[in-house]
Amino acid sequence: MKRRSFLKGTLATGAAAVAVNAGLLTPSTVLADWNKKAFDAKTTDDALSSVYGSSAASASGDVKLKAPAIAENGAVTPITVDATGISGVESIAILASKNPMPLVCEYTFGAGALGYVSTRIKMGQTMNVIAVVKAGGKLLKAEQEVKVTIGGCGG
Amino acid sequence: MAINIRMRGKSKGGVAEIKALIKHPMESGARMNKKTGKPYPAKYIDMVEVSVNGTKAVDAQWSGAVSANPYMAVQVKANAGDEVTISLKDNTGETGTEALTLK
Repeated sequence: MKRRSFLKGTLATGAAAVAVNAGLLTPSTVLADWNKKAFDAKTTDDALSSVYGSSAASASGDVKLKAPAIAENGAVTPITVDATGISGVESIAILASKNPMPLVCEYTFGAGALGYVSTRIKMGQTMNVIAVVKAGGKLLKAEQEVKVTIGGCGG
Repeated sequence: MAINIRMRGKSKGGVAEIKALIKHPMESGARMNKKTGKPYPAKYIDMVEVSVNGTKAVDAQWSGAVSANPYMAVQVKANAGDEVTISLKDNTGETGTEALTLK
């Protein structure tokens, strides 16, 4: 009997802990309009669909993506997306194709801003960096491979 | 404690490039603590806003894949004398704000 009640007790506290965890987590996810679904997506297509409702982006030379060919430290890869040549840029998203969660960041522009973003991102391995620009309801993209050399001497 | 932001910007021909350096660990929640075998708890900036004279110009959402101590540069339409504000918050609710009057 004692063993049984002991088990019951641990089960109850375990359930309570889960409930507390859930209770702590929900407010932040409910209050913020942070696009959790898109950031949790495991593939670039899923992430794009969650952000823009479509993953069909066409390559465009007007989307200027500046990324290093070789990044010696993948944890700070400088990325610049210049879409100032396109009129009516609504949004820019930066994705790293082989990261566990590809969507890195997403910028939405109001009337008072130009389609330009420069930032630094983390990359776990050699992969493609994809910049997606939404302008006039269309999705345009540019893609570039960045070689990440980890722990080496920059070779 | 508020998140520390350092920002710079200069207006040229009606367009100002705003550069900001933010002091933040940007812990994605995936990195393991080898000693305990448990991941470091996630702490990253998820929402960033840039406004000019109180009007929102750029609205950004970040994941934990943005580098630690993030650097960000955006271009906004603003002239000398305009006030540009950056405000942000991280997933633990910590916030930071910094304002700059363009020269």
